Formats: sequence, C-alpha cells, structure tokens
Amino acid sequence: MEDERIFSDICGGRLALQRRYYSSFCREFCVSCPRLSLRSLTSVTCTVWLVAYGLFTLCENSTILSAAIFITVLGLLGYLHFVKIDQETLLIIDSLGIQMTSSYASGKENTTFIEMDKVKDIVINEAIYMQKVIYYLCILLKDPREPQKISQVVPVFQSAKPRLDCLIEVYKSCQEVLAHQKATTTRS
Amino acid sequence: MACRGGGDHVKLPSPPLSSVNPGSFATCPTSFHNICMVSDFFYPNMGGVESHIYQLSQCLIQRGHKVIIVTHAYEDRKGIRYLTNGLKVYYLPLKVMYNQSTATTLFHSLPLLRYIFVRERVTVVHSHSSFSSLAHDALFHAKTMGLHTVFTDHSLFGFADVSSVLTNKLLTVSLCDTNHIICVSYTSKENTVLRAALNPEIVSVIPNAVDPTDFTPDPCKRHGSITIVVVSRLVYRKGIDLLCGIIPKLCQKYQNLNFIIGGEGPKRIILEEVREKYELHDRVRLLGALEHKDVRDVLVQGHIFLNTSLTEAFCMAIVEAASCGLQIVSTRVGGIPEVLPENLIVLCEPSVKSLCEGLEKTILQLNSGALPTPENIHNIVKTFYTWTNVAQRTEKVYELVLSEDVLSLNERLDRLISHCGSVTGHMFALLAVLNYLFLIFLRWIIPDSLIDIAVDATGPRGAWTHHYPHSEKRDDNEKVSETR
Repeated sequence: MEDERIFSDICGGRLALQRRYYSSFCREFCVSCPRLSLRSLTSVTCTVWLVAYGLFTLCENSTILSAAIFITVLGLLGYLHFVKIDQETLLIIDSLGIQMTSSYASGKENTTFIEMDKVKDIVINEAIYMQKVIYYLCILLKDPREPQKISQVVPVFQSAKPRLDCLIEVYKSCQEVLAHQKATTTRS
Repeated sequence: MACRGGGDHVKLPSPPLSSVNPGSFATCPTSFHNICMVSDFFYPNMGGVESHIYQLSQCLIQRGHKVIIVTHAYEDRKGIRYLTNGLKVYYLPLKVMYNQSTATTLFHSLPLLRYIFVRERVTVVHSHSSFSSLAHDALFHAKTMGLHTVFTDHSLFGFADVSSVLTNKLLTVSLCDTNHIICVSYTSKENTVLRAALNPEIVSVIPNAVDPTDFTPDPCKRHGSITIVVVSRLVYRKGIDLLCGIIPKLCQKYQNLNFIIGGEGPKRIILEEVREKYELHDRVRLLGALEHKDVRDVLVQGHIFLNTSLTEAFCMAIVEAASCGLQIVSTRVGGIPEVLPENLIVLCEPSVKSLCEGLEKTILQLNSGALPTPENIHNIVKTFYTWTNVAQRTEKVYELVLSEDVLSLNERLDRLISHCGSVTGHMFALLAVLNYLFLIFLRWIIPDSLIDIAVDATGPRGAWTHHYPHSEKRDDNEKVSETR
C-alpha cells in the first residue's frame, strides 16, 4: 500500500509525506522537500555577481570576478552536497529496527540504523528553535546499563521540520509497530 | 480587606468540580482562561515571588484553568519543562544581565513571546515583580498584541533616591495601560498607586498565603521552661528598642523564662548590650540571619511569639507563628488587628509597659493551661490564608479584566502621552509604534496560521486528565475544612 499526502513545514514550505506499508509491521515514511528551484539559484548567483562587479568597478582588479565565479560554483557544489537535503526516510521494521536515510540533492545518502532492542520509544517533543517553539519527532534510546533510563535522543526529519499534523501521522503508525513489537517480545 | 477568618469563603463560588467530566461544561459557572505567568524569577531560583507563582499556578490548574509559566533559562535548564500536574514552564534562552533579571531592549523578546502567546492561545498575561524586565517586556508585547494584562507587585519602593525615581518612571510607563494590578498588601497598594500614578480603582489587594503544611506545630521540640520567640529583621521599624526594655524586666520577674531571637540587622548591637549588662547569656539566644526554611524549626521551640513592630502593613510572620501553634503577643499597629481573630492574639500598645502586661497575662494563662493547644491553633489558622482563597480572588480579577476592552493602539498612545509626561510619553509612544510595526513584520514572515497550536497539558482540554480525580478529592477536603 502506498499513499502520498501534502503537508507543510514550520516555515510554510510544501512537504510531501509518502507512506509505504510493505507489510503491517514494516513501514516506510518518506518526507520530501521541493527541489532547488531555478529561480532561487539564479537570484543568488546574480546577487553574488553584481556585488563582485560593484567591487570590481571600485578597485579595478579582475581577480575579484574570477573569485566570484569560483565562489558561486564551489558554493553551489557544497550546498548541494552537504546542506540541501531533498528527502528524509524513516523505515521501521518491528523485528529489526529503525533506519533513517537522508538523501542530499547531489545524490549523497546518509544512513543511520538503530537496532530495535536499543529503542525505548518514539515521542513527539517540543523545543525552542531559533525564534520559534517547534514540535519534533524523536527516538529515545535505552541506556545499555540501566534499561529504564534514556541515554540519547535522536531527532527524526531534522532538516525537513514538518508541522505537528504530519508528525502525529507518523507517530501513530510508529506506535502501532512498536506496540506489536513489545507484545511479541513479552510473549516469547 | 485582608480577610479575617473564613468569613468570605462562603460567598465565593465553590471550586469547579465539574471540570472533571467534560460533559458538564455548560453547567459550570466559571469560564476557563488560558493564563500565562511571566517573571524572571522562578524555580530553581528560590524566593517569595517564585513560590507565589508556583502555588498560585497550581491552585489555578486545580480550578480547571490552563496555566503556563515563562521565565529565562537558568544555566542548563532551558527549553520546555513540565512540573507537577502538567504545569508547563518555558525557560527562554535570554541573556541574564543583573541579579537574575534579563537585559531588555524592549524588542528582542517579541518573536519568541509572540510565538508562545499564539501557540498556547493565551488570553491573560499575568506578570510578576517590578524588578523583572522580562515581566515588563511581556506586558509591553501583550498590549501590542491586544491581550489582557495583569501585573502583581511584590515589593515596596522608596521615592527619594535617583534609582527609585528612574524605576518609578518606568513603572508608570509600564502600568499606565495595564488592565489590572494586584498588590499583596494595603501598604503595597498605597505605595504602588503613588509610585506609578495609578487610578486606585484598578488596583486590587490579594494577600499572600501561607502553606500550612510548611508550618506545623511540634510541641515535643519545646523545653520545660517558657520560651518567647522573636523572628524579625533587627531594625528600628520592628521595635527592637521595645524588645530591649522588655527582656530584662521579664527575666528578673520569671526565673524560667527564655528568649530566642532570630534575625539580623543594625539593632543587634543594642540587644547584645542588654544581654551583657544583665548577664543573660544563657537565657537570651541570638540566632542571627535565618533562612526561610529554618524559620519553622525555630518557631516550634517556643510557646509565645512576640512581635514588637512599630509599623506593619500585613504581618506574615505572626500568621506563620500562629500556624506553628504559638500564642501571639503583638503591638496594635497598622493592619495587624485584621490579621488574626482576638482569641489567638494579645494586642498591646507599642510601649514597654503595655507589652510586659500582655506577656505576663499570656504567661499566666500558659501556666494555668487556659490556652488552646498548638494543634487547635494550627487547625484554626490553616483555613485563613490559603492558596485556594488567593486563587479564587485572582480568578475574579481575571474575569473582571476579560470583561474590559483592551486599549487600541490609538488609545494606548494617547494614554502614554497624557500619563507619563511629555518627553517619556512621546518616547515610549514611539517605541510602542515601532513594536507594533515589528509585530506586523513578524506576522508577515510567519503568519499565525503557520504556528502549531500546542497540546494542552492543563485546563479544560488538558492531556494530563488522569490527575483530575486526585485534585477533585483534594478540593473536597478543602471544602470540608472551610465549612468547619
């Protein structure tokens, strides 16, 4: 089963949430932001070049122009490779664990896997972020020595920052899987 | 009126027990408010304002309101925390400038405070303490956003020196367009009205309360001989000179009489002189400065509490002592006669002779066993100044405030210019306009519709509902003790 719904992020941008249910206890959630638009790319490039040209007319040194070209090219590459995340995926399999993948605009992928016996719970938490107070989804990890305590908090969908309605959707599905997982471990 | 006895409990509506089951909302007499308490001073910092905010919030939550607290971050305590019964506290990452008070630019806190007011759907902003700049900032922003505002003043100020002239001017500006002001005593009201040039009709008096569970009697801590306890700052106003006359007189007359004196101040030296002169080192103990948490342990050691104040607005010390089961002997000054009923207090004129007579009469009663037992006194006193009563009266202030209109920007500017002098008035009117423009800018960047509405922990739609059966039981208990 697969469906796609449109939500928004905390700044009002468009987000698409894709849900893929491979089986009832193996689910994938995929939050994708819109790709880098040609308009913003052109406007940033134009501003950098105009500033560079302004400086060039002031000090009449042509290295400024070549530097500006290098800066825009390198900046674009760096932005696509290290900053701009197009898609964030959360894959939860009840007997195995949780896998989080973030794919950058350049195609680079970053994957983290958390075993199920380390996961204590998945919760929605509140935080003060810049000049905002936001909700975020996070995975609580068990402390290996004291299973009752939490050793670490791993935020999910860190770059997309979806709003509460989207988070609740994901949260509810994850809780269903976790509840099933707990029931099976206590039975065995 | 500083309330006397349980007299005015009866008139007030009973706690909204119907908040327990959502089905009966329509029948509930009181409406519920979303209250935001703002102050720089909150736990983990310790003090009177902090405990006032906490206790008041807890009582308001039990009465079914939604309460959140906004303060600044204390070291590693930042972000959002929940306290008992789902009391939500925002520790905002603002820079602390001086004495736990944040720096103010009047604008920098607007984005965060606006975000919080919108997401929590706050209807009343209640600021505490005139020393807290965050509280004043919040009032300023709340008025810009068109929310209802209440301010509680916890302290007395002078008029003479430069710093108090400046703070009084700022207070005038801050309070001239605030909907309602609460003071903790009548002296405080008089002081605030004069300092901030206010209309006395918008100032209410709601006294502080004592947590009776903190001040419980413990008669086995008492020694065989009779002990008189004095706990006050050792200053002229507290009548320490009278005390110096009383001590030798009574000590000569009664061989089994001891004094315990707690507190510090410039008059300590004359007490020490008296002790030296009459060789009373073993019978008069000077404890020096006391922490608030140690006061109870000192009070329970005595039989009689002596208060020799020459002027007093509302004496909290005698309520605390009576709650510990001590018999009170006090001077008849200021608001003291209103604080306790006659059978619990012996009132004397502020003279050595009259106070000695009062004390002798009390000692005689004590020896003959005519006085009520400490438990009896405690049980009577604990119903007088309860936080539930404070919460009920504060609730009435909220209802009054919500029935009024918030000043529009025009009226607010007029008020500022006409009220605060031409220079200050125009300056702050300009700032108010700038703040309004900043708010419009913020609304354009992040419209209100983009701000997620927070999940309520307390109030009518509270998520922590499993706490309500418990609070219902407690409300019942309180009702029983009030009717007793």
